[in-house]
Amino acid sequence: MYKYWYVGFPELTPTLFLLNHLLLHPNVYFPSELFTHRHSRFSHLHLTTPPLLLRRFYSGAIFFLSAVIRPDIASRFYESKAEIVSLGLKEIFTTLFTGCIWFLKRHIMNAPIIDPLQGDFPEVIEEYLEHGIMKCISFNRRGTLLAAGCSDGSCIVWDFETRGIAKEFRDKDCAAAITSVCWSRNGHNILVSAADKSLTLWDVVKGDKIYRIILQQTPLQARLHPLESTLCLICPFSSAPVIVDLCTETTITLPISLSEKPAPTSKNKFSDGSAHYTPTAACFNKYGDLVYVGNSVGEILIIDYKNNQICGIVPVSGSSVIKNIVFSRDGQFLLTNSSDRTIRIYENLLKTQDSCKLVLDEDSRKDVEKLKAVGMNCLSLFREFQDAITKVHWKAPCFSGDGEWVVGGSASKGEHKIYIWDRRAGHLVKILEGPKEALMDLVWHPVHPIVVSVSLTGLVYIWAKDYTENWSAFAPDFKELEENEEYVEREDEFDLMPETEKVKESETNEEDEVDIITVEKDSSYSDSEEELCFLPADPCPDVDASVGKHTTRPDNSSPLSDDNPDYSNQIEGLENSGGEDTGGAAHLKRRRKPSEKVLEQQQAQKVIKTSQKSKASGKSLKTRSRIGSEQEEENDMNHFGDENGIDD
Amino acid sequence: MGSNNNNHHPNSVQPPPQYTPYRLIKTLTGHQSAISVVKFSNNGKLLASGSLDKTLILWNTETLTLTSRLTGHTDGVSDLAWSSDSHYICSASDDKTLRIWDARAAECIKTLRGHTDFVFCVNFSVHSNLIVSGSFDETIRVWDVKTGKANHVIRAHSLPVTSVHFNRDGSLIVSGSHDGSCKIWDAANGTCLKTLIDDKVPAVSFTKFSPNGKFILVATLDDNLKLWNYSSGKFLKMYTGHVNRAYCITPTFSVTNGKYIVSGSEDHCVYIWDLQGKNLLQKLEGHTDTVISVNCHPTENMIASAGLMNDRTIRIWVQPS
Repeated sequence: MYKYWYVGFPELTPTLFLLNHLLLHPNVYFPSELFTHRHSRFSHLHLTTPPLLLRRFYSGAIFFLSAVIRPDIASRFYESKAEIVSLGLKEIFTTLFTGCIWFLKRHIMNAPIIDPLQGDFPEVIEEYLEHGIMKCISFNRRGTLLAAGCSDGSCIVWDFETRGIAKEFRDKDCAAAITSVCWSRNGHNILVSAADKSLTLWDVVKGDKIYRIILQQTPLQARLHPLESTLCLICPFSSAPVIVDLCTETTITLPISLSEKPAPTSKNKFSDGSAHYTPTAACFNKYGDLVYVGNSVGEILIIDYKNNQICGIVPVSGSSVIKNIVFSRDGQFLLTNSSDRTIRIYENLLKTQDSCKLVLDEDSRKDVEKLKAVGMNCLSLFREFQDAITKVHWKAPCFSGDGEWVVGGSASKGEHKIYIWDRRAGHLVKILEGPKEALMDLVWHPVHPIVVSVSLTGLVYIWAKDYTENWSAFAPDFKELEENEEYVEREDEFDLMPETEKVKESETNEEDEVDIITVEKDSSYSDSEEELCFLPADPCPDVDASVGKHTTRPDNSSPLSDDNPDYSNQIEGLENSGGEDTGGAAHLKRRRKPSEKVLEQQQAQKVIKTSQKSKASGKSLKTRSRIGSEQEEENDMNHFGDENGIDD
Repeated sequence: MGSNNNNHHPNSVQPPPQYTPYRLIKTLTGHQSAISVVKFSNNGKLLASGSLDKTLILWNTETLTLTSRLTGHTDGVSDLAWSSDSHYICSASDDKTLRIWDARAAECIKTLRGHTDFVFCVNFSVHSNLIVSGSFDETIRVWDVKTGKANHVIRAHSLPVTSVHFNRDGSLIVSGSHDGSCKIWDAANGTCLKTLIDDKVPAVSFTKFSPNGKFILVATLDDNLKLWNYSSGKFLKMYTGHVNRAYCITPTFSVTNGKYIVSGSEDHCVYIWDLQGKNLLQKLEGHTDTVISVNCHPTENMIASAGLMNDRTIRIWVQPS
């Protein structure tokens, strides 16, 4: 029955089998022979297949899709149910095929992974970070450090590998909530904007303020220029975006509409009448030569900020206020979030640094049509995402590190929902549901399938894949099966084979050259610029006094004594780097949701511990290969002597 | 084997013409008992040695003299590791603890407690924000350097863990054990990604990633030293000739002048093989007991080797320029 299939689509055979089983409703006729010549017979079958049969098959397909494969495709079926008759079989099957392939890729062809970076999106809260009330977050370029701005004006840098605090910046002049944090490309600086209208650039390693300026307006968002270290783009609360040079403190206000008079906004008028602007979203492109502004009348303006000229206009359908505008990391795609509850993805047609093409002559600079024509050549609408049912507004949408996924938080109060869409295929793949706390900020890790979200309570949630134990990882020849399989042994499976033959097999390529030095450069990161990825992790000295007495200089038991110049330098370094948290264990703000596994392990650990005492002597008698037997006795003596001192 | 490789017979001690033999320049004495480990700091300025006499000694690699002695462990030291910036040393001891030492001040900063049996092996991650340790309690622990807390406790093996090592970017950990297995772990969450070897015997006495993190060097207690491609699960090269049946001898890669594999041996010699040809290039003689640990200087053509109880010396070998 399936043999034709096997010829054409060997990889689909198991799925078809599964499909057939799932659809094996007593009355459902699953037209398997249909697949044998899948295109040529469609028209014929469409005519001859009885409508009842078609309907049954159809509902079976919906059931299968919704239950097993993909809810999003299933909804497409539901939507088009009305047109069941007019809908061609071809369409149904094509969709089903897509689902099958996806299902295969996801579940069956998902080979044992050695590379943990491979694919997929986060599923569960792995851990949460707690320190004060965090408001906004940002990853450095490699995703090794996470900066978080707090409501008390401080800024924390988390070591994302250890999930511990690597640094804390606190400006004694600033006690207002941080509104945004932004890393410089090389990771050496962090730009922080606060609700007290201040803008501060920090040196990450030294922990010093480099620049601090006070703006006219409260900055909602501040972004550093990708290349020039002192240039930043500020989106204030109620005026047009400005470009500020931190060094010279010069300010350029960007145009937010073509006409001289302010854009006619109707939605967000301010009582004082002076501000005609709603907050306007803006961002640099990848090379920092253009600024993309999303204004309150639903237009994306492409601005050459050096000449302060609008080079192109892209009207967004619906003409509603653009709340966010974000580029993907590779600069290929642009995302807008409008108040019409839709996230739109645009493909950036300006592939390289060819903004010079956008230079227009005097006349066309004022000509809306010409600007729109230019805009057409810059951006093309790629996808639109919305939730047709709940009609939620989106908050903090962004791309995944590789640009394959788009993620957006629900802006509804009292829920912490994160939607993930497939950028390429254009459908929803996952809704992550957190605790009943509003979502404040959201970022996707630049490299890993990890999403980090900030809740209203100031906690930072880390969403990651739900790592289930891959049992085949424990045995090289173990394969996980989907279902029971009858095992047919090989003809020579239990034959005795001469040892030599086996050895030869594995030695085949022993003469090949092996390169143990060369490291392939990460292709997704272009430059070799010296980047700051890690802050030195200096161990906090133990406060326990008993530690010091064992050192070489028993007279100098306090690690803080001054008579060793070398060491006091070290302590200074520690204080600098550690900020407030040099106190040690008490400041560990890393929490892990106790999973069953952990509890189980703890339990097991206890068992080991208690059984240890009885086992200890026996254990030491086992071959301890590194130490000669003559030392064994001596060790055992000490071992028992220490037992109480170490295991409290 | 191909016919053109006859001159690379594993047992020949005929070095190719371009090979300059190493020769002994200094014998360091200072430890009262068997030495278990020697390691150069990453900046090459210091050499640290750990011993069953419960101490560590720091040696200046230029003058080859003793600079300081680190005391504090209440039992023998089995392994040590340098942080990338060469500021810190972490030592693993039979007193069930690990200690982090400030190498410049020669002081213990932190004691990592948690293992329930002898701690046998230790290594820093490349950014030195994490420490991985393996113990006779059959667990691998990943420690946060800053706070000294264990981030992960992995019940990894069914017999003592003999070696643990981070790969280049710190994403993977390889471990070897007396239970004869060699496993690769995800450093971020402590899950097993792959079991490279799963034999009951021989015991895996040492594992280490190659400098680029693509291969794993595995020593087993049947006189074998193999280079594995861990993604394909196949071994690529085998180095033999030395004796290794009882001790966890720690071989290493030498990359400063040609690519060699260097290992100690229970016949009191140090063996140097050509990485590609697998042929023995040189046998360094002089120690009077099993050579348990060898280490190569990060930039200079210098090898340090250490011997067990009857020897108690560290010997420094160089290739004269």
